[in-house]
Amino acid sequence: MKNASIREQVERCIEEFRRGELTEEGLQGVLDSIDRRRERRGRKRRQDLLYLQTRSTSIDYPVLGMRILENGKLWDGPRDPEDWPYKTVLEAVNDGWRIIKFPEMALLLDESRSFGLACEFILERMREV
Amino acid sequence: MSRIYDCPPSLDEFGVIDFCKNGYLLFPGVVSEEINERTIEFIEKNPGPVDYEPSHILDEDWFVKNVICQPDAAGAVRCLLGRDFGLPILMSSHRVECPQPAQEWHRDGGSKWGPQVNYLQVFYYPQETPAEMGPTELLPGSHHLFSLSTLMGHYGSIAGAKYAECPAGSIVITAYNIWHRRGKSTGSGVRHNLKYNYWRTTTPGPSWKHNPDFDITDYDWRITEAPTFRQQFRDSFDAAEMFLWLSGRHDKFKVMGGQGWPMPGNRLERQYGIPEGIE
Repeated sequence: MKNASIREQVERCIEEFRRGELTEEGLQGVLDSIDRRRERRGRKRRQDLLYLQTRSTSIDYPVLGMRILENGKLWDGPRDPEDWPYKTVLEAVNDGWRIIKFPEMALLLDESRSFGLACEFILERMREV
Repeated sequence: MSRIYDCPPSLDEFGVIDFCKNGYLLFPGVVSEEINERTIEFIEKNPGPVDYEPSHILDEDWFVKNVICQPDAAGAVRCLLGRDFGLPILMSSHRVECPQPAQEWHRDGGSKWGPQVNYLQVFYYPQETPAEMGPTELLPGSHHLFSLSTLMGHYGSIAGAKYAECPAGSIVITAYNIWHRRGKSTGSGVRHNLKYNYWRTTTPGPSWKHNPDFDITDYDWRITEAPTFRQQFRDSFDAAEMFLWLSGRHDKFKVMGGQGWPMPGNRLERQYGIPEGIE
C-alpha cells in the first residue's frame, strides 16, 4: 500500500467500501501517503547541468567538448576525451539527463561564419540535497 | 635600443602552413639553462612598478639577444611577420602558485577574426612546465573559430586541445586570437610564463625559406592536430586563405566550391578551381 499511487490507494478504498470493509485505518493510510509526498516535494533540490558540444545537431554524433555542474561543483571532465562520461548526447539522455537546450539553428545557418564550438546541447538532472 | 629587428627565416612553406592550420608553433628548449635561470632571478628580484608587467626586462641586452631574438623562434616570427618586424614593447608575467584550477577558455582582448597576421602572441617558459604545472592549453585551429571570450566561460574539456607541456627554455608562438587558457595544475610551486607580442611593419609577402617540394596546387590543407568543429573542409579553406594573405596574394584567394581547390583528395589530374596567379 505504501508504494502505491494515491489513485491506486483511493481505488482500493472504494473497493473496500463496496464490500463493506472500509476502515478508518485504511482512509488514514491514504492521508499519510499524501503527507509523505508533500514532504518529499518540499525537500530542497539541486540542478546538475551538462554542457556537451558536437559537430552536428544529431544527438548521436561524437561529443567534442564537455563541462559538468554536478552537486554544486563545476568540473571540466577528464582531459582525455576517451575518458569522458558520455561519448554522445544520446548516451547522456539514456543515463537520465534531460535536454533543456538544443543548438540554436537560427544562429548556425550562416556559412560565412563559424560560431563557437559548433552545436551545443545543455542537459539537466535534478538531485535531492 | 632599436626595437625593429631582422634575421634569417627559420621556416619553409610547410612550417608556415603548419602555423596557418594550427595557429601555433612550439620551439622546445631553445633557450639555454643559464638564461632561463637568469630570467627567473631577474623578474623575482626586479618586479618593477607593475609586478605582472615586467616590461623593463626588454631593456636587458642578454634577455633580448637570447630570448626575444632567439634564432629559431625569431626566425619563425620573421617568416610570419616579414622582415624588419617590431620587437616586444610590453612584457606580461603569468606567474602562478600551483596548484590552480584551469582558467576559462578565452581569446585575449583585442582579438580580431580573419586571415591577417599583423602581430603574434608568444609565450616563453623559463622552467620545465609539465602537465602538472599547468602549461598553457591551446585549441589547435581555433584562431579560425569566431567567438567572444565572454561566451566561452562554460566550455570545459575540448577534444584535440593541447597542453604546451615543454622543457625549460621553450617558446610557443601563437596567432593572437587562438583560444587558450592556463591549464589546471596539480603540482606545487611557482610556474613562470612570460608573454609578449611581435609586430608587422611591412606589407605581407613571401618571407620564408622556399622549399622546392612545396606545390600550392597539390597540398593537403586540412587541420591535423584537432577535430574540426565546423563544416567539412572549412578548415582547409581558412588555412589556404591565411597562407595566401601571408604571401601577399590574398586578392587571388577564391573557393570554387565542390571538390575544387583547396579541398583535399586523392586526384588523378590537376585539381579544378585553382585560382589564377597563386603559383
